Amino acid sequence: MPDAYMGSILRVDLSGETISEERIPDSIYENYLSGLGLAAYILFKEIPAGADPLGPDNILGFVSGLLTGTGSLFAGRWMVTGKSPLTGGWGDANCGGTFSPAIKRCGYDGIFIRGISENPVYLYVTGEKAELRDASHVWGKDAVEAEKMLVAETGPRSRVALIGEAGEKRSLISGICNDGGRIAARSGLGAVMGSKRLKAVVLNGAKRIPVHDRDAVHKLSGKCGQWVRMQSPLIPGGMMAYLGAFMRFLPVQMALDGMLYKMFLRKWGTGSMNQMSVEMGDAPVKNWLGSHIDFTAKKSAATNPDILKQREIIKYHCYACPLGCGGICSTKGKYARTHKPEYESVIALGGLCMNNDIESIFYLNELLNRAGMDTISAGATVAFAIECYESGVITRHDTGGLELTWGNSTAIVELVRAMIRREGIGDILADGSRKAAERIGGDAKSHAVHAGGQEPGMHDGRDDPGYALHYSVEPTPGRHTIGSFMYYEMFQLWKVIKGLPRIWPLYMKGSKYTANKKKAVMGAACSRFMNVVNGAGLCLFGTFLGAKRIPTFDWINAATGWSRTPEEYMEIGGRIQTVKQLFNIKHGIEPNNFLLTGRATGDPPLVEGANAGRTVDIKGMIRDYWKQFGWDEKTGKPTAESVIRSGIRED
Amino acid sequence: MSFTITDECNGCGACVKFCPVDAIRGEKQEVHVIHDMLCIECGACGRICPVEAVRDGEGNRCVPVRKSMWEKPVFNHKNCISCTICIDACPVGCLALARLPTAKDPHGYPGLKDEKACIGCGFCASECPTDAITMAVPEIKVKRGAHG
Ligand code: SF4
Ligand code: SF4
Repeated sequence: MPDAYMGSILRVDLSGETISEERIPDSIYENYLSGLGLAAYILFKEIPAGADPLGPDNILGFVSGLLTGTGSLFAGRWMVTGKSPLTGGWGDANCGGTFSPAIKRCGYDGIFIRGISENPVYLYVTGEKAELRDASHVWGKDAVEAEKMLVAETGPRSRVALIGEAGEKRSLISGICNDGGRIAARSGLGAVMGSKRLKAVVLNGAKRIPVHDRDAVHKLSGKCGQWVRMQSPLIPGGMMAYLGAFMRFLPVQMALDGMLYKMFLRKWGTGSMNQMSVEMGDAPVKNWLGSHIDFTAKKSAATNPDILKQREIIKYHCYACPLGCGGICSTKGKYARTHKPEYESVIALGGLCMNNDIESIFYLNELLNRAGMDTISAGATVAFAIECYESGVITRHDTGGLELTWGNSTAIVELVRAMIRREGIGDILADGSRKAAERIGGDAKSHAVHAGGQEPGMHDGRDDPGYALHYSVEPTPGRHTIGSFMYYEMFQLWKVIKGLPRIWPLYMKGSKYTANKKKAVMGAACSRFMNVVNGAGLCLFGTFLGAKRIPTFDWINAATGWSRTPEEYMEIGGRIQTVKQLFNIKHGIEPNNFLLTGRATGDPPLVEGANAGRTVDIKGMIRDYWKQFGWDEKTGKPTAESVIRSGIRED
Repeated sequence: MSFTITDECNGCGACVKFCPVDAIRGEKQEVHVIHDMLCIECGACGRICPVEAVRDGEGNRCVPVRKSMWEKPVFNHKNCISCTICIDACPVGCLALARLPTAKDPHGYPGLKDEKACIGCGFCASECPTDAITMAVPEIKVKRGAHG
C-alpha cells in the first residue's frame, strides 16, 4: 500500500472523450517522487518529439505533491506541466490555494490530459467518477466569475483550476487560475488548456490521504510551526527603502538568514521588498535599463508595503501554510476584493514600466489574474512596447493612438486590456516580447528582454548573478523560483548535506560576478533541491526558513516510510533535472539558446545605479553549472554517461 | 479498511443520508451495501444505524449514538496556526474561517460553520498538525442529556 502518495493517475483524452485510471508502480515514486518529478517522467516519455504545443499531442499534467495532505506544513502547492508554447521546451507553473490537496482527495497524484475537445468542456472529478461536461456557459467568462459559477453548480467543496480570456485566446503568456484569481502563471500553459478547449478542471473528492507515521509528521510540523510564529517587531514599511539604500552603499554583501525574510513575509508578504529591491538593485527598472536614480524612493513610495497592508482585510493562507504571506485586499472601483498584489506584479507593472500609480497596479493585477495572464510577462511586454515607442520603433499609429510613454498608467491600462482582448497592438503583444519583436521587426528585437522566449522574473542578475544563471540554464528559462545566491544562503543546505559549501555572513560584493566551481556547486544544489521541493509540493517560501528549521527530507521519510538521506533526495532532484533537460533535447531545444538577453547580465553594463559597471560572467557560470551534472559543458546536452549514472531508462 | 453492513440491516436508509461520499447503496427495505473503494471510514453510518448492522474496518459492531450527542470539534485558537488543513480535511465541508482578524492579529481562524452538517468523524482533529482541535460532545447537550 502506498503511503503519502495515492498511487494512481487519471488520464483524459479530449479527442476521443475517454477517461481512464492508471496505477503507477511504487518504483516511479521512489525514483521521481510525485509532483513535478512524476510529471517529468510521464511527459518526457509520452509527448512525441516535435509535438505542436497547441496541438492534440501535447499533454497537460496537473500534479499535487508527495507531502500534500500528510500534515506537513507548506505542502499546498500544485503544478501544471506540459510542453511550453512560449519556449518550445519543458513547461511548468506552480500555484498554491486549495487545489493541490483536491487532486489527491479524488484519489490521484496527477491528472494528465491530451487531445482536443470539439466544444468547450470542463472535467469534473469526484472520488467516484470523472466526466467531461459542457462548458459553453462559462466560456468567455473571467476566471473568478467562472469559478463561482462552477462551484455553484457542483457544490461548495469543489476546487477549480481554470483559464480566463487570455488562455481561451491562446495567449502564449497565459496561465491557469484557482481560488479566486491566484495563478500558475508561467510557461504559457494557459494557452495549452485553451487550445484543448478545456475551460476548467473541477475536483470534488473527499478521499483520505494515507500517511506512514502521522504522529512523526505532526511532531516535525509542530517544531517548524514554532519557527514560523516567531516574530519580532520590525521597522515601519517606509523604512524598507532606506534599508535597501543602506545595502547598496555597503561594499560587502550580507548573507541573508531566511528567518528575517520570513518575518517580512508574515507581516507584509512579498510586497515587503517593493521599495527595498529597487533601492538595492534587485528590482529591474525601466525595462532593465534604469535604476533607483530613475525610479526614486519618492516615486516608489506609493508601493510602500505599509500602504498596501492598509488595504488588507484578512491574511490569506494557502492550504497547509502557517505563514500566510498572501492577503485579501479591498480595492477601489470595479472589483471589491482582490488578492494582494505580489512583489513580482508590483515591479513588472510598476518600476519596470516606470509606473507608480498604485491604483492602476491594483486594478491591473486583478484584471490580469481574472484574465489568466501572467503579470510578469505582461508587465515586461508592456515595458518592451514602451521602449519601442519611446525609441520610435513603433508609433502612435501602431498603438492605435495610445501615448505609450514611460509611466503613463492610463495608456498602460488600455494596452493591457487590448492584450487580453487581442485587439490591435494588443494582438501583437499578447504572446510575449520575443514574439512581439518578431512581428514588429526592425530594431524591436534589441528591446526585448527574455530567456528562451520567457520574460525573466523581477530579480536582477546584476545584483545577484545566481538569478541570471538560473534564468539561462534551467529547462524552464527565465524563472526566479529555482535558484540564486540569496536562495542558496537561505536554504542553508550545507547544514544537512555533506560537501556543500557554507556561506559566511559577510563577503565582498565584487566576488559575485566571476565564475567558479563553488558557484556552480551552489547553483546545481538549488536546482536539485527545488526539484525535490516541487516533487513534494512544498512552498519555496517555506524552504527559505533554512534546512534545520523546515524538515523537508524528514517529512518525506516520515510520511512515506522510506529511510533516505538528504544526499539521496538530492540525487533524485538531479535525476529530475536531467529528465527535464532530456525533454528539451528531444524537442529540439539548443540549451545555449536560453541565454538571457545581454543587458540583463550587464552586457553592456549600466553606467549608474546600484549595478553600475557590473557584468556577470554568465557564459563561464553556465559552463561550470553544466559540468556539475556531467552534461556536455559546451552544449548543455546530457551525455550518455550522465544519463546512465542518474538512473534514467529511456524506454 | 472499509466499513461493512451485515444482513441485520432493515433497509431504513438512515446511513445513506449521512454518508459524505455516497458510498452506501441499496433499495428501501433491503440490505444495504457499502462500496469499499469509496468508504473513507468516517463512521457516520455506524453512529446512525438503529439496528447495529454496521461493522467498522476491524469488524467491530458499531453502537448508535443519539445525533445530539455526536462529538464536535472544539478549537483551541492559541495553538492554531491558521493552516486551514482542518477545513480541507472535513468531508462534509462544515468548517470555515470563523474568527476574523482583529487589530492585533490579521489572521483568520477556523470554526464550525455548519454544526448540523457535522458528522463527528474527527478527521479535522486527526489531521491538525498542532493538536488545536479536540472532539467533544457540545456542553449544553451534555447537561441536557444528564437531565434526561
Ligand atoms: S464509514 Fe462513512 S464513508 Fe464509510 S460508508 Fe459509513 S458513512 Fe460512508
Ligand atoms: S488544522 Fe489545526 S492549526 Fe490548522 S487551521 Fe485547523 S485548527 Fe488551526
